[in-house]
Amino acid sequence: MISRRRWLELLGLWGFGLHPGLKSLRRPRVPHPLEGPDSLPAFEEVPSSKSGISWTHVAGLSPEMYMPETVGPGCAFLDYDNDGWMDIYLVNSGPCDFYTPPDPLRNALYRNNHDGTFTDVTEKAGLAGNAYGMGVAVGDYDRDGLPDIYLTQYPHSILFHNNGDGTFTDVTAKAGVAAPGWATSAVWFDYDNNGLLDLFVCRFVDFSKAKNIYCGYGAEKKRWYCKPTAYTPMACWLFRNNGNGTFTDVSKETGISKSLAKAWGVVAADINNDGWMDLFVGNDTVPNFLFANRKGRFEEIALLAGVGLSPFGLARSGMGVDAVDYDQDGWIDLFVTNVDHEQYSLYRNNKDETFSDAAPGSGIAAATKMLSGWGVKFLDYDNDGNLDLLLSNGHPDLMVEQRLQNVGYREKLLLFQNTAKGWRNVSAECGPIFARELAGRGMALGDFDNDGSVDVLLAQNDDVPVLLRNNAGRNNHWLGVKLIGRKANIDAIGAKLSYQAGDLLRHRSEVGGGSYLSAHDPRMVLGLGQRKKIDWLEVKWPDPGGKNERFTELPVDRYITIVEGEGSWK
Amino acid sequence: MGTRTSRRALVAALGMTVLGVASTLGYAQQEPKRPETTQRPAIEHSIDLAAKGRCQEALPTLKFAISRPAAKQAADKQLEYRAAMATAKCAMSLDQPQTAVNALFLLKRDFPHDPEALYITTHYLSELAMRASQELARTAPTSYQAQELEAESFESQGRWAEAAAEYQKILAENANVPGIHFRLGRVVLSKGESEANAEEAKKEFEQELKIDPSNAAAEFSLGEIARRAGQWDDAVTHFSTAARLDPGFAEAYLALGMSLASAQKFAEAVGPLERYVKLVPDDPAGHYQLAIAYDRTGRKESAAKEMQLEREAAAKAPPSATSATPQ
Repeated sequence: MISRRRWLELLGLWGFGLHPGLKSLRRPRVPHPLEGPDSLPAFEEVPSSKSGISWTHVAGLSPEMYMPETVGPGCAFLDYDNDGWMDIYLVNSGPCDFYTPPDPLRNALYRNNHDGTFTDVTEKAGLAGNAYGMGVAVGDYDRDGLPDIYLTQYPHSILFHNNGDGTFTDVTAKAGVAAPGWATSAVWFDYDNNGLLDLFVCRFVDFSKAKNIYCGYGAEKKRWYCKPTAYTPMACWLFRNNGNGTFTDVSKETGISKSLAKAWGVVAADINNDGWMDLFVGNDTVPNFLFANRKGRFEEIALLAGVGLSPFGLARSGMGVDAVDYDQDGWIDLFVTNVDHEQYSLYRNNKDETFSDAAPGSGIAAATKMLSGWGVKFLDYDNDGNLDLLLSNGHPDLMVEQRLQNVGYREKLLLFQNTAKGWRNVSAECGPIFARELAGRGMALGDFDNDGSVDVLLAQNDDVPVLLRNNAGRNNHWLGVKLIGRKANIDAIGAKLSYQAGDLLRHRSEVGGGSYLSAHDPRMVLGLGQRKKIDWLEVKWPDPGGKNERFTELPVDRYITIVEGEGSWK
Repeated sequence: MGTRTSRRALVAALGMTVLGVASTLGYAQQEPKRPETTQRPAIEHSIDLAAKGRCQEALPTLKFAISRPAAKQAADKQLEYRAAMATAKCAMSLDQPQTAVNALFLLKRDFPHDPEALYITTHYLSELAMRASQELARTAPTSYQAQELEAESFESQGRWAEAAAEYQKILAENANVPGIHFRLGRVVLSKGESEANAEEAKKEFEQELKIDPSNAAAEFSLGEIARRAGQWDDAVTHFSTAARLDPGFAEAYLALGMSLASAQKFAEAVGPLERYVKLVPDDPAGHYQLAIAYDRTGRKESAAKEMQLEREAAAKAPPSATSATPQ
């Protein structure tokens, strides 16, 4: 006999609030538990005891559930001392109007010791931070050959100038890039093609302790972290590099500030092959932005480009983003992560400033149906020449398991292999780390052991970072390339590479930023598969240089540096 | 694509249940005894009696009052509202479902957004549904309908294996009962999204169509499986058939348009999407897809206009079921 409660539940099954023909698909597939392979897994966690990375993120989780508590942090691979080895920077929370840490908190800079271990050099470097840290963007804004750090924070951000002696100086005031408010991801790129790196800073909502909103339910007033619909959107910033250590806020004159954002992630890439860097911004509960760069002014075209909304015409919770030519047709494609019940989107470029979502049918939409994604980056993890996809997941609301079925606060990583014909979810085959549930947030890529296999750094909310060594890339041949612009911006953001190795022809682009709150190893690793020789490599430098350079007689299985205009590699 | 079909399914389910209560269980629907008066004082008096639980005395007048347009014209809206609420309450307590349903439908028609009316409608219709299910279990416990209800109950609790077993039992006794393979397909999909489940569900939906070729929902489900697999041509075929079988099945037009658009057949997508936005003008999904289709076929002005409609519709759209919204 059916009870009344069961009947009401039945009504629920028939449709309160869920998609009809689709709602029966609401429960996620449960991945099979991983079995340990005999050989080394593709990705292997490097424990703190081996790496020496003992730092922990502290979110300062509070009963008031201030939104910034649950969305950080970011992380970075950067070679701050120019020794050819990737160092690590980790962002922590810190003091602000809604949080007074009981013990002092700090960000952490770890120097790479070249042997798989790291040494904490934060104190000497002066990179501790001074507010509630969010993310990091790395770029050599003053063209002195040393990577500088832009640290996004609430309620103001910091520009750290690299002094070249292992120390950094806070030059925010002089530079004029404090970006007051709640900054999230940021990206260095040359928007006006003058050879200087400019700075785009994502801004999230209008937030302060006084503006914190109660979100919750029930007579007991059980609180949860708000969905951002509760807050007012704000404009992002664009700072033009004046070339003298100062910047000018050009958000208004370039058209950036016309669009109000709730921005989490940003990537700079040339989506229409016109030689001008465009911006794709992941927004939460307002449409994503695609800022098409019209020679220094930006036109926001996301809606009709097909990347602003879900297929049902609703804004999703866009978070991490990335841009890459995954199908090797010569045009940059886009990716955005969303939250549970929304699925992530892989936007294939239609070559006319429009995109089509290729996630349905690829396995990506189905696998991400109940997940919430943050860090996202395309990488050729097995060096076969195809760009694969790595996703860091975790729900932003600690209370989610109390209010939603089949959605967890901690979620698993996902790795999709690009087979050149489609996508294959290889997570279960790639190591025990893919069976672990993580509070994944920022994610950075970098080859910290210089073996040509791109490694991964994952930042977790209120938890330790996870360093993953990639063992898979060593099974194939590769060439690592560091580009240095002379006329072009020194980080060569926007450079396009093509290379041929036997039957393998591939195109790669140096995009700015991508992922979530994080910065990456600027070197590109070009996968060759089993081919032992590269026939040629061509570099198309971004403007104002803009020239093509072609290289032959290249080595494999090592890194080289190419300096714009020198006509040779070293 | 969902909320409307959901609503329709719900309405259909409720309608079926309530009618079932009235007809199957054979409640006596007596002609109301004509009261002495339907003037305001008499109605007020009956509402008072109802409030005191004296429903036997109150109901004849109340029933008559809500059934007469003249009474509505004469009375103010507030009196009509109170009379309908009292009627529903007394009819339920005296086990007169037809009268209760009449009162609830009156409330739905004349006070569609009143929270209390919506609350008691939910409450009483679920009560009627429960009574019907009890009666079904008592009078025909071995009928396939009773088994189907039990299976649906298992479904609602996520007990997929037990639900499937109940449905299989029905098919074991009568392999050609319509709707059961469709339900089985839904159960399979509910177990999780995988290629194997999709394949198994597909077989069930196809089996359903052999029994009942007019089942537009089964065609739609096959289309949805194909759409999720990126098999646009198959999806287009199934959604087209679903729309042909049930021309009022708005979601089939949307899904058809979306699938055509995904297959880059934007010109062909325009027709079904235009049809959808006419049928469901307040759904942002239709306007969004149509705007994209217009844009890709060079109709930039129409695209911009449609996108504006989309933004307006999206602004009015209710928050999703998973939203954490402030209270």
